[in-house]
Amino acid sequence: MADLSELPPEPRRGFLPIHTNGFDRVFIAVVLFVAIHLFWMRFLEASVPLSVGTVLSVIVGAVVIARG
Amino acid sequence: MRSSTVGWLFLAPTLVILFIFGVLPFLYVLVIGFTQWNSFAADPTMQYNGVENFRRLMFDDQFLYSLWLTLKFGFFAVASQILLGYLLAQLFMRDFPGKGFFRTVHTLPLVIAPIAVGATWRLLLVPGLGPVPYYLNQWFGYELNISRYIDQAFVATVVMDIWHWTPLVTLTLLAALASLPKEPFEQAQIDGANRFQIFWHVTLPLLKPAILATVFIRLMDALRTVDEVWMLTGGGPGAATRYIGLHIWRVVFPKTDYGYGAAMSLITLYLTIVMCWLLYAGLVARRDLKRAE
Repeated sequence: MADLSELPPEPRRGFLPIHTNGFDRVFIAVVLFVAIHLFWMRFLEASVPLSVGTVLSVIVGAVVIARG
Repeated sequence: MRSSTVGWLFLAPTLVILFIFGVLPFLYVLVIGFTQWNSFAADPTMQYNGVENFRRLMFDDQFLYSLWLTLKFGFFAVASQILLGYLLAQLFMRDFPGKGFFRTVHTLPLVIAPIAVGATWRLLLVPGLGPVPYYLNQWFGYELNISRYIDQAFVATVVMDIWHWTPLVTLTLLAALASLPKEPFEQAQIDGANRFQIFWHVTLPLLKPAILATVFIRLMDALRTVDEVWMLTGGGPGAATRYIGLHIWRVVFPKTDYGYGAAMSLITLYLTIVMCWLLYAGLVARRDLKRAE
């Protein structure tokens, strides 16, 4: 009989429109982290410092990992 | 010995090779992407400069134009290859005289090195020397000059890529078509479905995983095309066919701006992964979710 602890984590449904496991949510958080930074540098950095974008992307990433 | 230990032992050679040839170079490029490193600069040593390379990228019109061109090239090349590849795969599912010969000839472009493909197409298309511009002009009065007209140069690179890689799509889809079960098709025919309905509701859904895998492979390849285009147009005329791989090459080698080139490579990798993931999420994961609901 298979050891239950060795089974992959069950995909779950959060606010994202697909089933995700932990790896998916970390991946999406990293993708959003990079995207927010690039967008910020291109359009917002002249008026708002990049560190604000970093804080925002960390918050977004944490929400995605916890509730996505 | 526990089964998981045996499993890890079997995996170990692959993981070691992957780490040495995949992960380590990626980490190296990642580090270089955050540095100012130009061997011909006043200070040729590697200097950490934070996100400056990425900030520069976001305002670099040449880079953004190359990126746009590459996406355009990838879209037209891959879409055409999938369509043509599917039609050819359907053709090869039927019997006709000379099928074996035609299939062999059709597969030949796959075994030719990209640099040789580029050279061959250049000899065919170069103005003043190639037979294609000559006969197009003689027979139709059409002026084909890929060194002069940017649209023609772009179309030439797309057509060359289609010629080179459609056989791969055909072979993949042919294997997928040959392995499809017969029962759903017989059931659809009994239910009175016409050919289009069978294609849309039976063939296409069953082929979707194979089509998606082929799109991933071809999209990743198309986004990193360098050698064929370099031979055919050299990125010109002007920057009309300077796709992102060529642009990165120009920055890294002739200009020796390693840090900036590494940052470009990272952004290209990022976009490739994101595009493939979005395709997967949009076409597969959402469908699975709907089915589960």
